[in-house]
Amino acid sequence: MKLRKYLLILFIIPLTAFSVHKYYISLCEIEHNEKQNSVQITLGMFIDDIELTLNKNHKTKLNIATVDEYSAIDQYFEEYLNKHFIITINNKLKAYEYIGKEYEDDIVRFYLEIPNIEHIQSISVKNTSLIKFFEDQQNIIKIKANQKHKTFYLNKQNDKGLLNFKN
Amino acid sequence: MKKLFLPILLIVVFSNSILAQQTEPQKERQNGHYNISKFRQLKEELPTPNKQHTASGAPGYEYTQQQVDYKMDIILDDENKKILGEETITYHNNSKDNLEYLWVQLDQNVRAPDSKSKDIRSGGPDVLYSPSKFTKSFMGKPFLGGFNIEHIKDASNKDLAHTINGTMMRIDLEEPLASGATFVFNIKWWYNINDYTAQRGRSGYEPFEDGNNLYIIAQFYPRLAVYNNVEGWQNMQFWGSSEFALEFGDFEVNITTPKDHILNGTGTIKNPKEVFTNKQYKRYKEAQTAFDKPVYIVTPEEGLEAEKNRSKETKTWKFYAKNVRDFAFASSRKLIWDAMAVKLNDKIVMANSLYPNEGRPLWESLSTEAVANTLKVYSKHTFDYPYPQATSINAKQQGMEYPMICFNYGRPDKNGKYSERQKKGLIGVVTHEVGHNFFPMIVNSDERQWTWMDEGLNSFVQILAEYEFSPEYFPMDKKAKNITGYMSGDQSRLAPIMSQGDNVFNFGANAYAKPAAGLFILRQTIMGPELFDHAFKTYAKRWKFKHPTPADFFRTMEDASAMDLDWFWRGWFYTTGNNDIGIKDVKKYYVTDKPTARVKKMAKRYGVSIDQFPPALYLVSEDSEEFTKSLKDKKPEDYDLLSDYIENNFNSEEKSQLKSPKYFYELIFEKPGDLVMPIIVEFEYEDGTKERKQYPAQIWRKNDKQVTKVFPSHKPIKKITVDPDEQTADVDTSNNSWPKNKETKFDKFKRNQIKG
Repeated sequence: MKLRKYLLILFIIPLTAFSVHKYYISLCEIEHNEKQNSVQITLGMFIDDIELTLNKNHKTKLNIATVDEYSAIDQYFEEYLNKHFIITINNKLKAYEYIGKEYEDDIVRFYLEIPNIEHIQSISVKNTSLIKFFEDQQNIIKIKANQKHKTFYLNKQNDKGLLNFKN
Repeated sequence: MKKLFLPILLIVVFSNSILAQQTEPQKERQNGHYNISKFRQLKEELPTPNKQHTASGAPGYEYTQQQVDYKMDIILDDENKKILGEETITYHNNSKDNLEYLWVQLDQNVRAPDSKSKDIRSGGPDVLYSPSKFTKSFMGKPFLGGFNIEHIKDASNKDLAHTINGTMMRIDLEEPLASGATFVFNIKWWYNINDYTAQRGRSGYEPFEDGNNLYIIAQFYPRLAVYNNVEGWQNMQFWGSSEFALEFGDFEVNITTPKDHILNGTGTIKNPKEVFTNKQYKRYKEAQTAFDKPVYIVTPEEGLEAEKNRSKETKTWKFYAKNVRDFAFASSRKLIWDAMAVKLNDKIVMANSLYPNEGRPLWESLSTEAVANTLKVYSKHTFDYPYPQATSINAKQQGMEYPMICFNYGRPDKNGKYSERQKKGLIGVVTHEVGHNFFPMIVNSDERQWTWMDEGLNSFVQILAEYEFSPEYFPMDKKAKNITGYMSGDQSRLAPIMSQGDNVFNFGANAYAKPAAGLFILRQTIMGPELFDHAFKTYAKRWKFKHPTPADFFRTMEDASAMDLDWFWRGWFYTTGNNDIGIKDVKKYYVTDKPTARVKKMAKRYGVSIDQFPPALYLVSEDSEEFTKSLKDKKPEDYDLLSDYIENNFNSEEKSQLKSPKYFYELIFEKPGDLVMPIIVEFEYEDGTKERKQYPAQIWRKNDKQVTKVFPSHKPIKKITVDPDEQTADVDTSNNSWPKNKETKFDKFKRNQIKG
């Protein structure tokens, strides 16, 4: 929910009244659910931007979020995320499960989950989403774990964020 | 009995505050503090009212502003992509001051080879470099932008001394310009028009594959800076981000273009017969009574035909614009033109759209309809649009406004296909840019200093206009909620709205969306539409064709509504705080006539015996030691004390109107967030019915962190939700429910995925 609020206003508003400042932003919220021992991730980005990227990469027209949408679109999404969104927990590279996605207005939100995480000593996130075609892309990562909150602002020059917890 | 009643009554009245003082020996010395109440008035932040900007937020009886008139001859050199111009400027010094110099804005200098705008930007290598960009960035072949001034002369043709500092030029006057006097001078200049698709800019040209260019020309002439008693001369450099501060005046502009160009700009065309073909001129006249739907003035076929040629002849467009703050125009042989007439009370305004064939079919009629809707809705909320026309030009990657003309993005793909999202985008950008005619073209705030005063106010009215255009495409229900993501972001990246724009990170959300959301909350939730609309309209009318400041806005909104809003302005505009209100606890109370431990304690404190108290009723909490199960079944009227009182003091009509609560709840609300907001509570009863109550923001006056309310009810409550419609921009709704809602959004999504 938070993503849509955040991105929607950034999308519609800054475009107007001056061309020089369209904002390219994605928002990722990572939360360690201690009850379920899992790391729950939502990652949201603008449909227009991921569509342009995937269309160019695969030299096709995916018609995302329309009636003509390519039927196996989730495969493309999952493949793209696996390549560009990498999580390491306690120094081990972690695969995540692609639970699904939803569209809300101009935004697509992905739901990902890493099971069997009892305790987080350190977590590192690398996010190179959309940077290839949008050099100004900023990928925001909000991490909530061990009762702490931390926000990283990743971009082309700095695409990785590391958070260590002192026990 | 009766003798003691009054003193005891007084004790009871004051007891809450008295008993609350628990004095303990202080180990550490506490430091004193300033007034930190969130409800303190903005007296220290706002400038002292004076005879130009009054305490009620209106222009004062000594308010003055300058006027600057321009007579210009402009040549658009399509082949060489140049603008050549000569202007005669008439500067009216209506102020009480004598001016030693005048400041003139040279915005094109932001693109000059020696411009410092690039120098102040920070960043690593770009992802890719076109050959043009590479040579510009590294090989010393910069774009030769910037004004080339050929002469600056006074009315007697003598050269004027001047000094250029970046984008600002000082004209040194031989003698100070006296108050009330006029100064006339002439400037001749030229500059290279930039390809704004290669190097970002608000104006320039867009090159097309067919070799033609679409020119959107603005900030193309040296123009006066504002002089007033708020900033003196508003001569802050134009770095490219914060926009413009300009004076009102009359413009006579002659623009010479290739003969096959179509052009529109600020104001009215004085010689339409000379610049249109006969057919076009006929349609131009007919459009002025086309009230139902747009009609072509220049048809798509004419546009396609014109694209093929390159006329070597020229024609001159003659424009006149009265009481505008700036002038801009768009010109190309590719342009198609459709228009419709809009009735605003006793006035007719023309809504125009100009676009190349590449903009079809998306632009056809959608743009002009959006222009017309914007004029109507904005006029409703401020004043009737005072200008003769409003034009929307299709320009790639643009969203920019000038008086009566704006440049807007939006093109379908090569097959003419476009999505719903693109349609919404087009309606949005046209509404926003045309809306800017009201803020700041007419309610002429200083954009260089306060971006939010036009962007925020415009973005807010845009919400109302879009909703009226299409409630399906543009619902209003999530406007407050949508800003919480930004507001709950990292504090190091947030700046208050009351910050000068060039220095702010995340400029867009800060100057556009956050003020718009704040005004939306103010209208829908805090003031209500009736009080808000009247106050907002008062502000617009007071400052129409004048230069308002933030204080004028803040003061007018209160002045016209009798609502103290300083707590709101302070929190939303002056701080980066956010709102988080929750329901901390709910306790159930029952009625008893046996004195409780609490009242016994109070009696002891005042050294009276409990028997000396008059008979009374007490509320006892379900989790207290004094609670007995039998109390649950009793109604208050079961106690003789109460029923006798009612019997003796109310007539039968009054008795029938009395409510009979059976359940008493103590609601404890907490406010972990910084901002003060009203508490909107929805009660859901066990029988399924619902009820709402809104406690005004002043409830937080004495305690900023926690407040308690006693809520009587004749039905048991099953669920309580704070801010159920998410109207207060609450950044954390996990504490908004009682009983607490345990399922996260993630779990809900997962559950639904597994199901279906």
